[in-house]
Amino acid sequence: MGILGVYLRKIYTLFRGEVLVLPSRIVVFLFFLVLLFLPVVTQDLYLLRILILTSIFAILAASWDLLSGYTGQMNFGHALFFGVGAYTAALLNLHAHIPPYGSIPLGGLAAVLAGLVIGIPCLRLRGTYLALTTLAFPIILMGIVFAIPGITGGELGVSGLSRLSSSRLYDYYITVVLMLGLCTIMWKITDSKTGIIFHAIREDELAVRTSGINVTRYKLLAFSLSGFFAGISGGLYAHFMRIAGPSTLEVSMSFTVVIWAVFGGIVTIYGPVGAVFILFPLLEFFRFWPEFRMLLFAVVILLILLYMPNGILPWVRDKIEKECPRCKVRNVATRKTCRVCVAPLD
Amino acid sequence: MGQAFLEIDGLFKDFGGLRAVDNVSFSMNRDQILGLIGPNGAGKTTLVRLITGILRPDSGSIRFKGKNVIGLKTWDIINLGIACTFQNMRPFRRLPIIANVMVSCLCPRAMKRGEWVKRVEAKALDALEFAGISDMSLEKASTLSQGDLKRLEVARAIATEPELLILDEPFGGLSPAETDLMAKSIKRLHKGGRFGRLHSEGPAMIIIEHKLQQLMKIVDRIIVLNYGIIIADGTPEEVVNDKEVVESYLGEGGI
Repeated sequence: MGILGVYLRKIYTLFRGEVLVLPSRIVVFLFFLVLLFLPVVTQDLYLLRILILTSIFAILAASWDLLSGYTGQMNFGHALFFGVGAYTAALLNLHAHIPPYGSIPLGGLAAVLAGLVIGIPCLRLRGTYLALTTLAFPIILMGIVFAIPGITGGELGVSGLSRLSSSRLYDYYITVVLMLGLCTIMWKITDSKTGIIFHAIREDELAVRTSGINVTRYKLLAFSLSGFFAGISGGLYAHFMRIAGPSTLEVSMSFTVVIWAVFGGIVTIYGPVGAVFILFPLLEFFRFWPEFRMLLFAVVILLILLYMPNGILPWVRDKIEKECPRCKVRNVATRKTCRVCVAPLD
Repeated sequence: MGQAFLEIDGLFKDFGGLRAVDNVSFSMNRDQILGLIGPNGAGKTTLVRLITGILRPDSGSIRFKGKNVIGLKTWDIINLGIACTFQNMRPFRRLPIIANVMVSCLCPRAMKRGEWVKRVEAKALDALEFAGISDMSLEKASTLSQGDLKRLEVARAIATEPELLILDEPFGGLSPAETDLMAKSIKRLHKGGRFGRLHSEGPAMIIIEHKLQQLMKIVDRIIVLNYGIIIADGTPEEVVNDKEVVESYLGEGGI
């Protein structure tokens, strides 16, 4: 009991010193808490379904941010990774009878290969040219899918896959825990030394080259990592929906990911995740007015981007927190002096 | 006689119809500071870009420590021990200044030489300390003045602990006081030694500069380029008295 008490006190001290000091961290903590304990309050199947899909797309949106936001490799064909992950998981499950816990990671690895297939020819391209080239890849794959309906199921896709788990509640926990875990990993990557190099490549590739960094390796790493996470989300989607169809490769899917990321705030990881958790349920809510659904959705996005060009979550964060001009540590907006160096904040 | 530290032989580079570097050949020793001067458009920056692998020459050879570097990627050349700064500074504007230098500290050469340094941040801070901007390490690079950006470029270059440092207009845009300070830093770096966790090999240097008075105080040899051709090569005294250099670059007033 004594040792347990010491550990509990340590955890509480850590919690008070690291989490309770900033509103953004409290929000993230509550977000984790609410998602993990929601089924205790309600197990409404429709709500769980929405949250499962939201979690899957949150992984996808964060993976786009890792590649295009952080590394600056503007990818307008992110659906390729999603589709490759979905189709690989589906085909392995259907033909090789590999269960979801095997087929989903293999789908992720297949998407890594897809990342390399895109990444290598795109190494020389930047900006608009890169964006337009990446746009072509999912369209090409969709052509292949339609060309070999014997394997891919053509327009109907590959259906009849194993369920993710035996119940909706387990589905929920698998996707939510995976989403929280993978997004934390992505955030840690961006916060690491590799993340600094990703950042630098986005800022000025030539300067990174003259700093002695093998830019090719890091760009391919970004494509592979992003592909892996997006592939996992594709595999999850296929097993949850029990179908992998051409809709996973559609251009609209690629652009929806970009909209989510830009709406939430790129180069943040948490921005795209938050955006999916706002926009995906919102789109469902707008089903009450089916004829105005997309119009209302577009209006919301346009208004937010008009007044918050850096995305909604960085805007909110800047309202509730401010950075110390001296030590750059973030503080609650109401504080007059920095919590670390006691410098005046105004 | 031992092999030259840097040896350039019969280098040519054309851009369309324009010959930017025309049969340039020279070699330099390990302990030299070489000034590279000439009018705008003479091919100085192009020559540096050829040495660092940013551009590929049409013909000729560049040997660094006896190794042919033509065809190597820029990062491989940097990891051999060449570092350069840019005439138009290229900081990672949205990154903190310390992160700008950390990128250089993360290259294989710097990582290998600094294996004993546990924290890359500490080494980056030492490079900034040497350059004189460590107090601003947490600021975004976009907030720096012209002079401080030049210092950041130098900090980034020395963080790889190079044996050949190429500085492209290090005094450009600096006030006289800042220029003096930068000149002193360059001399101190050339002497070599340990600056915190950073070890300076006392690198050989190639300095491109238009502020000739300051340059003359630092360098022990000058090469003058005009229309991509070497028109003079010698000590500062020899070069300023060279008739062709006076006619094509310095003018009758001298420096």
